[in-house]
Amino acid sequence: MLIGKKITKKYRGVEILKGIDIKVEPGKITSLIGPSGSGKTTLLRVLSMLELPDTGSIFLDSEKYNFPVQPNEIIPPWPRVSVVFQQLFLWPHLTLRQNILLPLKGVKDEQHINELIKILQMEEFINRYPNQVSLGQRQRVALARALALNPEYLLLDEITSALDVEQVNIILNHLQTLKDKGVGILIVTHLLNFAQRASDQIVFLDEGRIIEIGGKEILEKPKHERIQKFLSIVKAAT
Amino acid sequence: MSVFDIIITYREGLLAGLLVTLKLCLIIWASGILIGTLLGYFGAKYRGEIGSPSRVISFILSGVPILILLFWLHYPLQAILQISINPFFTAAFALSLLNIFGVADLVRSALVNFPTQYNLAAKVCGLSQKETFLKIEMPIITRQIMPSLLNLQVTMLQLTLFASLISVEEIFRVAQRINAIIYKPIEVYTALAIFFLIICLPLNGIALWLKNKYTRDISEN
Repeated sequence: MLIGKKITKKYRGVEILKGIDIKVEPGKITSLIGPSGSGKTTLLRVLSMLELPDTGSIFLDSEKYNFPVQPNEIIPPWPRVSVVFQQLFLWPHLTLRQNILLPLKGVKDEQHINELIKILQMEEFINRYPNQVSLGQRQRVALARALALNPEYLLLDEITSALDVEQVNIILNHLQTLKDKGVGILIVTHLLNFAQRASDQIVFLDEGRIIEIGGKEILEKPKHERIQKFLSIVKAAT
Repeated sequence: MSVFDIIITYREGLLAGLLVTLKLCLIIWASGILIGTLLGYFGAKYRGEIGSPSRVISFILSGVPILILLFWLHYPLQAILQISINPFFTAAFALSLLNIFGVADLVRSALVNFPTQYNLAAKVCGLSQKETFLKIEMPIITRQIMPSLLNLQVTMLQLTLFASLISVEEIFRVAQRINAIIYKPIEVYTALAIFFLIICLPLNGIALWLKNKYTRDISEN
C-alpha cells in the first residue's frame, strides 16, 4: 500500500499541502478532485517521491520514510510507482513506439506491448513522432509507456483531458482491468463523471487540505459546503 | 584567361593556399568542437566557477572585431613579449579562441535550458542518470545545437580569410598574389567565390535541413 501521512509541502514560503493523509490501496482506484491550485498535482508528485515533502511520512509497502529525509536516503520507487504527467513529456527524438520501448531496456515483452497498442488503439500512429500526432493520441502513448513497465501503483494526472468520450471509455475499461490485477491507482481529474464511474474512493482537496473523503456518494450528496459549491459550479459549466 | 584557365595555370599555388586554409580550418573546427564542448559542459555543471567566467570572456570576445584581435596578437603582443610566432599559429589561436567560446556558449545554453520534464519522465520510467544522459539528453541536445554549430563552423571557415592580413599564405592571399600578376580580378575572385560556395553551401544546407527536421520536434511537444 502507498500511504501518505500528515504530508506538508511548501513552495517559496507558501504552504501547498497542509497535513494530508491519503492511501492508495492495491486493487483500488482513488480519484483526487478539487479546484485549480488546491494542491492535487503537488500531492501526486510528493506521493511518487519525485518531490519530497517537508514533513510527514510516506509508506510504500514495507518501506517507510519520515520526512525530512535526504534524497539519497530514498530507494527510488520508480517504475514500481509510475506517474503519467498532465504535460506527458514524451521524448521528442523518439517515435511513439520507441518512447514505450526505451524504458524496457531491451527486456521486451512483445505480446504485452502489442496488446497495449491494440487496447489503446494506437496501431495507426505508433511509428510516428510525438509532434506528428494529436494531444489525445500522445496521452494514450504516455499511459502506455507507464503501463508497459507493469507498475504496482499508477498515479495519473489529468490524463483524459484531451480524449473524446469513446477514448475515455477505453481508458476507463483498461484501468478497471489493471485494478482487477491488483494495481493501486490514483487519478487526478476534473471530469466528475469519470471520477464517479472509475473510483472506489474519492478525495476532495481544497487549499492543501482534504475536505472530504469517501465513496461515490460524496459527489451525489456532499456533506461539505465547499464541495457543494464546487460541484454546482462544475455542473453549471458543463 | 577564363576562370578555368586560372585554376589550371596556378593550380599549385591555389592548392597550396587551399591546403593552408583547410589546415587552419581543421585546427579551428577540432579545437572549437572538442574544447568548446567540454568548456560548455563543465560551464553548465559548475556555473559559478566555470560557466560565469566563460560567459564573461565570450561576451568580451564578441565585442572585439576579429581583425583587431588578429593584429593585436600578431604585432603588439609579440613585440611586448619580444617573441616571433608564425602567423599561421597566431591566426589558428585567435580563430580557435573565438570558436571555442562560441561552441561553449551553444553547449552550455542548451544544457542549462534543457527541458527538465524529459529527465523527470526518464526518472519515473526507471532510467539511470547515465541512461538519461546518453539516450535522452545527448540526442536531444545534439539535434538542438547542430544547426547553430554548423552555421558557426561555416562562419569560422569564412573568417579564415582574415588570416591573409597577417601574412598567412592561405587561399585568399594566394588569390591576391595571382591577381597582382595577371590582373584579372573578376575571374580570380570568381574562382575563389566558387571554392567557398562549394564548401559553405552544402554545410549551410545541412544546417537548414537539421533545423527544419529536428528543432520543431522539441518545440511542438
